Amino acid sequence: MAVEPHCLVRATHVISFLVTPPSISVESLHKSFPPARSGWRAFLQPFEKASVAALADVSLQVREGESVALLGANGAGKSTLLRIVATLLLPTAGRARVAGHDTLTHSRDVRRQLGYHAGTDHGLYPRLTARQNLLFFGQLNGLSPSMARERISTLATQFALGEFLGRQVRTLSSGTVQRLSLARALLHRPRVLLLDEPTRSIDVIAAAEFRRFLKTQILQPGATSILFASHTLPEVESLADRIAIIDHGRLLACDSLAALQRRTSAPTLEEVFLRLTGRAGELHTEASVE
Amino acid sequence: MIPALRQMWLFFWRDLTIARSYRTVFVVEAVEALFGAATFYYVARFVDSPGLEQALPQGGSYFTFSLIGFVFLDYLNAALDTFDHSLEEARDSGTLEHLLITQTSLPIFVAGSALYPFVATTLRIAVYFLWSAILFGFPLRSANWPSVFAVLLASLLAFSGLGILSSSYLLVFKRGNPAKWFVLGITGIVGGTLFPVSILPQWLQAIARVNPVTYALDAMRAALLAGATLSALWRPLATLLLFAAILLPLSMSAFAWAVRRTKTTGTLTHS
Repeated sequence: MAVEPHCLVRATHVISFLVTPPSISVESLHKSFPPARSGWRAFLQPFEKASVAALADVSLQVREGESVALLGANGAGKSTLLRIVATLLLPTAGRARVAGHDTLTHSRDVRRQLGYHAGTDHGLYPRLTARQNLLFFGQLNGLSPSMARERISTLATQFALGEFLGRQVRTLSSGTVQRLSLARALLHRPRVLLLDEPTRSIDVIAAAEFRRFLKTQILQPGATSILFASHTLPEVESLADRIAIIDHGRLLACDSLAALQRRTSAPTLEEVFLRLTGRAGELHTEASVE
Repeated sequence: MIPALRQMWLFFWRDLTIARSYRTVFVVEAVEALFGAATFYYVARFVDSPGLEQALPQGGSYFTFSLIGFVFLDYLNAALDTFDHSLEEARDSGTLEHLLITQTSLPIFVAGSALYPFVATTLRIAVYFLWSAILFGFPLRSANWPSVFAVLLASLLAFSGLGILSSSYLLVFKRGNPAKWFVLGITGIVGGTLFPVSILPQWLQAIARVNPVTYALDAMRAALLAGATLSALWRPLATLLLFAAILLPLSMSAFAWAVRRTKTTGTLTHS
């Protein structure tokens, strides 16, 4: 009996989905911090029991080539989750894996797969030129000098950084430094890109250009997965395949925008967020009082 | 091993490039070394006497004795400061977390960050000695250079352990450096920097015997002033290497623990 070609393709996809580990996998993740102290008690703070919960039982997967947005209020736990995946924080319980590697036990293998951009204009050496910064971090991420130069040249074209490469970072504008920082995150072609409010301090035009770049150059080829935190709803709508809504450290939902709208019967993402976090009523009450 | 060396070189290249961007710093330091050498020369002229010279080990004048003591204290200071300084700079500039998510291991990060400051301090010391030799008659010709470099290397390894311990403290507690305060304070009294250890009471001499600086200074003075050979210096060299063998693994474990602790408490990038 002959097998239809499209059935074979579908079977290959299913097998690859089953065999390839998800790009990011977070299982029952908990994170608590010691309470903040001041005065002489601050001296004991590093040894205090972690009692302030930042994440509670969060489970989430990001598949290869997928883009997932973390949406939540300030202090909801978005950055904590990103920093655990980036190996910059240790979980209190549960585990996080990147491309099958545990962030706790195989952090070096995890770091090999990661690009991280924190959305600030900090994190580069102000007295080195843009090129020197990229060369330094590129080689620390395993690129040879010639490979690093080649990647710098490619990324400089894509990010319109060419004219700035020879200038010291301290002389560059905030937006240019942001683009440079993202270029650094992409130098070693990471499989996973973690972005923490990536357009926080750049202007509207640069932000739109940045989103276009992410969509066409990173997401469309399908090799890189993105987990990003953002407060900008249009950014979330335009970039995310799925949206994870976090509130007070708990994952309330993680689905496509359309599915979330169906579930909450909400017409917009803003309304979806307000309904899921139980703030829709609060806002309506405040509006009627005003 | 080769990728590790390349990564260490990258840290050195980074720090050298940053240092070169401050164009006048090398000139200022050379002039500073001249003033420092001159100060020691004139203080020594004021206090020197045949009786004092006889009391000094390895012979020589009080000028040569105190100059070696002072520049070695500078070296110790650099060892205790270097790791703290690199860490603070990385933390404040926001580069620390970006460095920690590269494929660089913790020991390479620590050693690489210290490489340029150590080389710069060694050069500064060399400039001190050059000024002293050219202008004030410091007897560099009697030095045994292989012994000098062996003592420098052994001291660097021994002192680095103290520096890394100190930066582990900084990482966890964010401010202050009691290790530096303690080591420099103790060394000022019992290290034999400005006066010989032999004039101290017995109980202070006992403390001096567990201080790596005492051995480093004795060996350096013997190598520079009396031309002592490597075989003649095996005892202080072996003692320094023993300090290094104990302090380096201990301090690296302490540093790894401190990084882990700050990753647990979420204070890695806090200042």
